[in-house]
Amino acid sequence: MVYYLIICRSLTYAQRTAQVLERVGIPGWVQRSPKLISKEGCGYCVRIPERRLTDALTVLRREGMSPKQVFLQTAEGEYSEVRS
Amino acid sequence: MIYLDSAATTLEKPGAVPRASAWAMTHLASPGRGGHAPGMRAAELMYQLREQAGRMFHVNDPEQVVLTSNATHGLNIAIRSLVGPGGTAVISGYEHNAVTRPLYAIPGVKVKEAAGPLFDPEGVYAAFEREVTSDVDAVICNHVSNVFGFIQPVGRIAQLCKERGVPLIVDASQSAGMLSVDMENWGAAFIAMPGHKGLYGPQGTGLLLCGGQVQPLLYGGTGSLSAQQEMPDFLPDRLEAGTHNVCGAAGLLEGMKFVARTGAGRIHRHERALAGRMMDALERCSGVTVFRGGDSQSGLCSMIVDGLDCEEAGEMLAKRGIAVRSGLHCAPLAHRTAGTVETGTIRFSFSAFNHPDQVDQAAAAVRELARTAKK
Repeated sequence: MVYYLIICRSLTYAQRTAQVLERVGIPGWVQRSPKLISKEGCGYCVRIPERRLTDALTVLRREGMSPKQVFLQTAEGEYSEVRS
Repeated sequence: MIYLDSAATTLEKPGAVPRASAWAMTHLASPGRGGHAPGMRAAELMYQLREQAGRMFHVNDPEQVVLTSNATHGLNIAIRSLVGPGGTAVISGYEHNAVTRPLYAIPGVKVKEAAGPLFDPEGVYAAFEREVTSDVDAVICNHVSNVFGFIQPVGRIAQLCKERGVPLIVDASQSAGMLSVDMENWGAAFIAMPGHKGLYGPQGTGLLLCGGQVQPLLYGGTGSLSAQQEMPDFLPDRLEAGTHNVCGAAGLLEGMKFVARTGAGRIHRHERALAGRMMDALERCSGVTVFRGGDSQSGLCSMIVDGLDCEEAGEMLAKRGIAVRSGLHCAPLAHRTAGTVETGTIRFSFSAFNHPDQVDQAAAAVRELARTAKK
């Protein structure tokens, strides 16, 4: 499976992000950010299904929320940053 | 025992409070410290607590709700964030040592008292109008005096602070869970409150609602940005270094749900009715001075028995199975303002779980003390 990881500045921010997404039917799982992409140390992200990224970013923008970074997680477990 | 010291700590809690704390002890780990189930359950609980506080106190963003150890902890953070060495603060004449001692500890700080007469909201407001000038670093005011139950005109003081561009810190220790505490409407920089009084949580819990720039009081691990040595610049992490009191938070969440279900207004009316009953009974008793404030008084009753030391009176009542608080209540400034610093007072304070018959028994015991004191 391919996922997007929305990197958040804090656990609380990740929880709020997931809640905002769930309200519009986008499933989001709060999890630890992988060490490989979390250069500043421990952090949390919200994992969403591949097809929902555009909707998710639209909803978050509407709510005034800004993800720190977004990464694509491939089926092989590799990460690549998504730049807008 | 008849427990009438809820302004210090509510002793009887809703049953869900101790159950939740006990459950948390063995089922919840540290939020923000792992991705495993006990850690994530703890994180979920903390988020629910922040959301519940947001709903109750009109805070839009759960990140602005910080878990503290008590109101004193929150007030220290708030004061240290806004008032530096040589700074100026305006405080009401009814502040607790939780406000005056942190200010006293700041080198060169200038503290101006906006002291109005007891149970005179207009007089208090006029004093703030005189003292709050644009060069003041912070205004600090309790919503309700812990000694007399005097409800200060915080809404109007908040408006005054907005107009004059001065940050406001509200100590809601005696009002959270009873009166409307409204972060959004007041536009306060900070509101501090304990968890163990009107929110029916365990001791060792408190909340700080943050609307302004914050400076940490404690430095350490937060589970975020751990590769850097500066504290994170975002809330709540910036103010929540170290492992959280998750057991306390679990109990506090249940306490707050109880208040939300019951209704803060209903609890306030119940406590005011009990205080009114107590004061009616005591005013009929010769040799007793009751501090009564009508609509500007919350649900507690402060009094003096003529010719009897208040601490002795407290001891005598304790021997009769009635738990009250005597002395200066950690608020010598409030006593100075009201003219009771030499005598102190005996304070009866109530909770949602007290009954009129308990008030009647306490009043009868005070009548007996007053009779004895006269002899």
